[in-house]
Amino acid sequence: MRTIHVLTVCGSGTVSSTMVAEKLKDILLEQGIQVKTVEIKPTEVLNYIEQGGYDFIAYTTPIPEQDKIPAINAVGFLTGFGEEEFLVEVQQVINKLK
Amino acid sequence: MFETALIKVNLEARNAYEAIEVLSHVLYEKGYVKDSFINAVINREKVYPTGLPSSGVGVAIPHTDRIHVKQSGIAVATLKESVSFFTMGTPNIQQEVRIIFLLAIDNPDKQIAILKKLISLIKKEDLLKEMIESKSETEIYQLLNSST
Repeated sequence: MRTIHVLTVCGSGTVSSTMVAEKLKDILLEQGIQVKTVEIKPTEVLNYIEQGGYDFIAYTTPIPEQDKIPAINAVGFLTGFGEEEFLVEVQQVINKLK
Repeated sequence: MFETALIKVNLEARNAYEAIEVLSHVLYEKGYVKDSFINAVINREKVYPTGLPSSGVGVAIPHTDRIHVKQSGIAVATLKESVSFFTMGTPNIQQEVRIIFLLAIDNPDKQIAILKKLISLIKKEDLLKEMIESKSETEIYQLLNSST
């Protein structure tokens, strides 16, 4: 199975980022894609990107600007109101990885 | 995951912080959180707001770091009149909120089931509408528990 690596970011690196991570894992697994996530705080973003190995960022709080990997706002995904838009963006990012 | 004792129906609050304060007290009195929880939630809300964008009933999910939590629990309030929260992810935008889920989460990895359930609840427009029309804590408890 294909595996992608995602950084999920929220204010405390716990609640919202875990919610986003779990929902993303469930949905992409149905498409045959395994998602591995790390839940982090905005202040940790640049360090993790520096380490490398992550395909994109899904965030629910503003994150520092960087141009190494794509970053997608996941607030709508969390609430379901804007879920489609988020998943379209995710799909576009995944397609570019191939 | 829900408890009648942690639910407040038709809470009257002048603003988001007052609502959070009242609800935090409920969690504190029941032994779910430390006394540092209230300020920690409010301070976090100012930096990382938790209003969730929706098409209908506005919902917010304030929370804070686990060090302020003794055991996991969720306090729920419906507000008599809406208060303004800033929106998660786009903190320059404000929105009106009628339902607050105040989360005390001590270990998110162990509470994945709870968080997943919460995700499914907050996108059920009909449920949220029924919640704000509920007249008692028991009614809200039953609504939340019968919804999966």
